[in-house]
Amino acid sequence: MGTVFEIAAYDQSTEHASDAIEKAFQEVVRLDDLLSDYKPDSALSKLNRSAHYHAERVPPDLYRVIEQAVQFSRLSDGKFDISIAPLVNLWKAAMRGESTPSRAQEEKLRSCVGYHKIELTPPDLISFRSPCLQLDLGAVGKGYAVDRAAEVLHSLRIHDALIDAGGSTVFAMGSPPGQTAWLVHLRDPSNKIDPQVMLKDGSVSTSEQTAPSLLGNDSAGHIIDPDTGIPLKTVFAVSVVSRTATASDGLSTTLLLLGPTEGKALIKSMSDVSAIWISREAQVETATAGPQILFGRDLQTPLILGTIP
Amino acid sequence: MRISGAILVWVFVLVSIPAWSSVFVHWTSATLLPAKELGLYDLVLSWSDRFSPQARAAQRLGYRVYVEVSLGEAATAAENGFEGIILTIRQSERAELEKFLPKLRSAHPKARFLLLNPDGKQPEMRGSLVIKRGSVLGVSSPTAQPWIDTNLALVKIEQRSHPGQAPLYTFSWGGLSDSGPQQSALTAADYMLAVAEAGAFHADLVLELDDRLQKSLGEHDPESWNLWNQVRAYASFYLHTAEQGLKVAANVAVVVDDLATIDEAMNLLARHNIPFEVLRPADLNKEDLQGFDVVVVFANPDRGACERIADLATHGKTVVLVEAHGAYPWQNHDAVRLNEHTVSYTVGTGKVLELSQPVTDPETFAQDIRRLLGKQNVLMSLWNGLTTVAVPYREHGRTVKVLEFVNYAAEPLRLQVQVKGSFASIRYETPEHQCCESLVPVNHNGFTEFVIPQLRIAGRVHLEAN
Repeated sequence: MGTVFEIAAYDQSTEHASDAIEKAFQEVVRLDDLLSDYKPDSALSKLNRSAHYHAERVPPDLYRVIEQAVQFSRLSDGKFDISIAPLVNLWKAAMRGESTPSRAQEEKLRSCVGYHKIELTPPDLISFRSPCLQLDLGAVGKGYAVDRAAEVLHSLRIHDALIDAGGSTVFAMGSPPGQTAWLVHLRDPSNKIDPQVMLKDGSVSTSEQTAPSLLGNDSAGHIIDPDTGIPLKTVFAVSVVSRTATASDGLSTTLLLLGPTEGKALIKSMSDVSAIWISREAQVETATAGPQILFGRDLQTPLILGTIP
Repeated sequence: MRISGAILVWVFVLVSIPAWSSVFVHWTSATLLPAKELGLYDLVLSWSDRFSPQARAAQRLGYRVYVEVSLGEAATAAENGFEGIILTIRQSERAELEKFLPKLRSAHPKARFLLLNPDGKQPEMRGSLVIKRGSVLGVSSPTAQPWIDTNLALVKIEQRSHPGQAPLYTFSWGGLSDSGPQQSALTAADYMLAVAEAGAFHADLVLELDDRLQKSLGEHDPESWNLWNQVRAYASFYLHTAEQGLKVAANVAVVVDDLATIDEAMNLLARHNIPFEVLRPADLNKEDLQGFDVVVVFANPDRGACERIADLATHGKTVVLVEAHGAYPWQNHDAVRLNEHTVSYTVGTGKVLELSQPVTDPETFAQDIRRLLGKQNVLMSLWNGLTTVAVPYREHGRTVKVLEFVNYAAEPLRLQVQVKGSFASIRYETPEHQCCESLVPVNHNGFTEFVIPQLRIAGRVHLEAN
């Protein structure tokens, strides 16, 4: 997953809290061994090598996370697509210093992409109806791991904790002592808005395209638009508040790809979800069907941002 | 994936007493321990206008005693028979030092003067969770990159500022400035990381010891001695690095006018494991620039430097000129505007990129430099190394001989490494498991890959070519 997980927890016993945190970390490590695309022996890597026109039995967690990701694909009509891996890998190589992909390379790999080519057969069989399809769980795996870590903490009677995956996905359980909720500051590329959310038993995730090159032609980026096959061009960073980290993680990428207009329409069809788009120039777009997002710069008189149009 | 916050596994290692150390212990407690007991022999005391009884006692206890003074106190201190005089030099005093130091050395030929940069920072990995009055502020960031406070850029600057001396720096512990009941004690990992960082960067460190630790060591508190023995093991691990005569391996040059300030871009180059050396504009005239594939110029080049830049590009180098606003000799070559702020000129087999503005986004700039190097010229790459800084060293030529690793998360990490060159033997050592575990090299396309099974804080890899 290529990120750093942090957990803060409150409990009567420091020893018990430490033990619970350790077990939650163990769960995250276990999931990383399943969902990592950089580890050649992970369940995901094996699936990517062998599921073409052939059903593979996969561990329950891998099946579940792919199943949920496909739901986001359906919700967004394919804007969110975990089968984008071949194009992501192509552009990641460009970001590492290899030559910028040609149009022909993109076209060839775009034929590999398509979530509808992923065949899920409950309870644990997956096959790809394409000779070159590969999955990238980068937009949803981290959130799934956060949710499972939260489950571990719950099972060990930890009720007040915060799980943070690299600063881009945060899950809040309960609240700190004497507080009603966890105060979480959200990403603000303009540095003018300082959006915040009071989180209790909920999650927030942020997605943003890789910053444009200072010395290049701005073509690279880690979030690829399945419609064009090239890195998404957007001025926004998106933060999404939701009940689960899997949902906030997946939806933040989805809403970044959709943009504010289509994104607001999608949120209208959902419950318990809020989102905020902020540009470097402090353009703000919001959609709220769940927790309120506040302007930090004016907390004396909290202003609740936006509603669904 | 890296995890922070888990319970640390303590490793208790007792080591033999070293005869020399690059760690200078700054001692403030009135009670001194015998040097043999402490295990480190270089002790730094504060100057008190004369050779104090404490300094005399420290010598009797087996220490080499250094005294930390300001520039104005140096001459007096030099007459007092200390092992060395540590001059604490603030940025504003650097110009004065250039004039004063030769005179001082001439007047006191037997005294050893060491220049201390006091502007280091506590090495640490900063996560996103910020504890504040019982609640937590989670700062949501899109990069998924933990922030690392490293002194590597400072060390690079010091290497160029004072070529005749190993870089010597110190820092204040972040948590110790706010004294009070809530202040958390420094852990063994805090000290070990500080020692590892300086050792891995081939720099010397004046290590501030928490007053409570000094006191409890004096009282022979077992827990404190457990902590200290781990720190000693780390100091011992780096004991002989200076004797190996290795040179820093780097293929990016950063040219600056002012050695007194660290551009944030340098911190990010370090953070992204892009090996670089700091040069002055005058260094561009040297003949030994062949080892650099990319030259980043933050300085304002004069006519001679411009000619050298053009010459470097003609011979295949990539030169990046930051905040370029002048008329330059390469501007009559083929030009391509890359974006609003950058123009690329093809000069011979290389190119000069003019960036018309300062580096507004150091993170992106560092990634750009890695891209400019091109895949074949990247000296090393790490996977699963978000919290790790690596420094390559060479013996002769450009071939990397040793890699030093520092893991700022201070928790065991499995690290995948790719290094330029074909190597048949990879040997790995750590302070916890000394030399050497053989790692399996995989060679392809002029690079060697291997996996470090466990890096806690410090590790060293020895590479032997085919």
